[in-house]
Amino acid sequence: MTVATDLSVTIGSLKLRNPVVTASGTFASGREYANFVDLSRLGAVVTKGVSLKPWAGNASPRIAETSCGMLNSIGLQNPGLDVFTQKDLGWLETQDVPVIVNVSGHTVEEYAEVCRKLDGDRRVDAFEINISCPNVDSGGMVFGTSCPEAASVVSACREATSKTLIVKLSPNVTDITEIARAVVDAGADCVSLINTLLGMAVDADTRRPKLARVVGGLSGPAIKPVALRMVWQVANAVEVPIIGMGGIADAQDAIEFMLAGATAVAVGTANFVDPTSTMRIVDGLTEYAHSRELHKITELIGALEV
Amino acid sequence: MTGCCGTGEKGHAGDQSSLERVDLLSNERIAEGVGLMILHAPHTASLVEPGQFVHLRVGRGRDFILRRPFSVHRAHGEQIEILYQVLGTGTLAMAELGCSDDIDLIGPLGHGWDVPENIDHALIVTGGLGAAPLGGLAEKLAAQGVAVTVAMGAPTQERLVGRDVFEAVTRRVVIATDDGSEGEKGFVTGPVARLLDEGSYDMVYACGPEVMQREIASMCAKADVPCQVSLERLMACGIGACLSCVVSTKDGLKRACVDGPVFDAGEVCWDASEIPPKH
Repeated sequence: MTVATDLSVTIGSLKLRNPVVTASGTFASGREYANFVDLSRLGAVVTKGVSLKPWAGNASPRIAETSCGMLNSIGLQNPGLDVFTQKDLGWLETQDVPVIVNVSGHTVEEYAEVCRKLDGDRRVDAFEINISCPNVDSGGMVFGTSCPEAASVVSACREATSKTLIVKLSPNVTDITEIARAVVDAGADCVSLINTLLGMAVDADTRRPKLARVVGGLSGPAIKPVALRMVWQVANAVEVPIIGMGGIADAQDAIEFMLAGATAVAVGTANFVDPTSTMRIVDGLTEYAHSRELHKITELIGALEV
Repeated sequence: MTGCCGTGEKGHAGDQSSLERVDLLSNERIAEGVGLMILHAPHTASLVEPGQFVHLRVGRGRDFILRRPFSVHRAHGEQIEILYQVLGTGTLAMAELGCSDDIDLIGPLGHGWDVPENIDHALIVTGGLGAAPLGGLAEKLAAQGVAVTVAMGAPTQERLVGRDVFEAVTRRVVIATDDGSEGEKGFVTGPVARLLDEGSYDMVYACGPEVMQREIASMCAKADVPCQVSLERLMACGIGACLSCVVSTKDGLKRACVDGPVFDAGEVCWDASEIPPKH
C-alpha cells in the first residue's frame, strides 16, 4: 500500500497545503476565478498589488503578445488599501485558503504603512513586498535594483509587521544574489522570483510601440529558463525558502523550479490561457509524487543533481 | 479616492461563465480576410445574450497563445456563430483550425446590449466586422416586435458581412461602402446622419471601428437619442482579473470584459484614445 505524499510546504511561519500559489496581478483576489478554481485546493492566494492609496495604472494598450509570452504595463492599478480590506479581504475570509497580500508603494513609508495597517488583521497570513514592478515611475523596481534601497524597504516592513515577509525580486539586475542577500539580511523570511523582465514590442506597420508606456514586463514560458537560472543562483546564496515563478504552465515546470531550489511555485500568465492551470498543476504534482513514491514533496526542493 | 480604480461588482462567482470544450462544425472564409466559425457550444449557446462574448483558445497543444475574445454573432439551439477578421497571429491560427482540433472557450462573458422594454424603433449601425455582436440583437429586437433599421458600412460590397441576418429580420437596411461598390459611397456616418434627422429612434446600437463609434456617439448625443456601443480592447484573462482591457469612462476606468464590452456611449470618455488592437 502506498501512502499519500505529504504535499505541504512551509514559508516562514506559514504552512501551505501544497506548493502551488498564484502570481500577483494575474489572479486579482481570486473571486474572478471562482468558476474555474477551487480556492481551497491552492497553497495560497497571492493578491494583486495593494497600495496605501488608489493607483490609476497606465494608459492603454497595456498588453502585447510576444513569442511564448506577453508584455504588460498595467501599472499596479488598484483601488487602495481601504477598498481592498473591505471588499477583497471580506470575500477571501469566506474561502478556505491562506492569503498573501502583495504590497506596493511609492515610498518606503507607504510600503511599511500597508504592512502596519494589516499587521493585526487575522485574515492576512503573509506579505509579499513588491520591489520589482517595472511598470511604475517611482517605487517598484527602483527599490529592487539597489541593495541599500531594497534593504531599507524590507527593514521598514519588518518593523511594521510580525507576519511572514516575502520579498519579490526583480530579474532586471546584474547579480540577483546580491539583492537576495540584502533583503534576507534586512529581515525577509522568504524571497519570490522572478518578477517580469523589462521588454518592448514594436509594430512595424504603424512604427509605434505596442504598449502605450513603450516598455513593459515580459512574462510567460519565454522567461522560464532565465527564472530557473535565477532561482538556482539564489538558492545557492541564501538560506530562506524561495517561491519560484516565471513561465510555469504545467506540473513539470513546477517540479523543475522545486529541483532548482524553490520551496513553492507561483502560477501567473498561464492563468490567462487556462484559468484552471493551478488545479492542473496541483493534480500533476500529486501524480508525480505518487509515481516517484515520495513521502514528502519537500524531497524535491533543491534536489537537482549537478 | 480618485474614483478611477474601481473594479465594479460584476465578474465574480455567480455569473454563469464556464470553461467549455467545443466542437468546430465549420470554419469558412466568407469574404476577403473574414471568417465565419460555427461551434457546437451547448452551455454558451443556452445562456448567451446578444452582445456577450466568448474567450476562445486558438493555440494547439503546448502552443502558448493568449485567448482571443470574440462576440457571439448569433446563437441557435446548441450552436454559436463567430464572425472574425484575420489580422494577426491568433486569428491566423484560428483560420487554420479544422473540425478535428481541440478547442475550448470561456463563455458566455461580459455585459451585452441593454434592450429596454418600451422601445418601438431601434437603429443598428455597423462598420465592417462591427456587425459581429449585432446579429443576435437584430433577431431579438425583431422577435420582440421592435421595428429595426440597420445602417451598414464596409470597405467594399464583399465585406458587408452579416447582411443576410439583418435583411431577414429588419424592414430597412441602408448601405454605404468606402469604394461605392454598393449603396452610398463613403462612411456609414453619412446615411446615419440622415436617418437620425428623419426618424424617431428610441435607441441606437453601434459597433465598428472606434473612430466610427465615437462619431455615432456624438451624433446621437446631438439628436438626443440614447446610444450603446460595443468596444474592443486587447484582453488577457477575459474574466475581470488582469485589468488589461480598461475603458475610460465618466465613472473611472472600467473593464471591457466584465463591465462591457457594451457601454452606454454617453459614459465613455472618447478622448482617451486607443490604438486599434490587432490580434
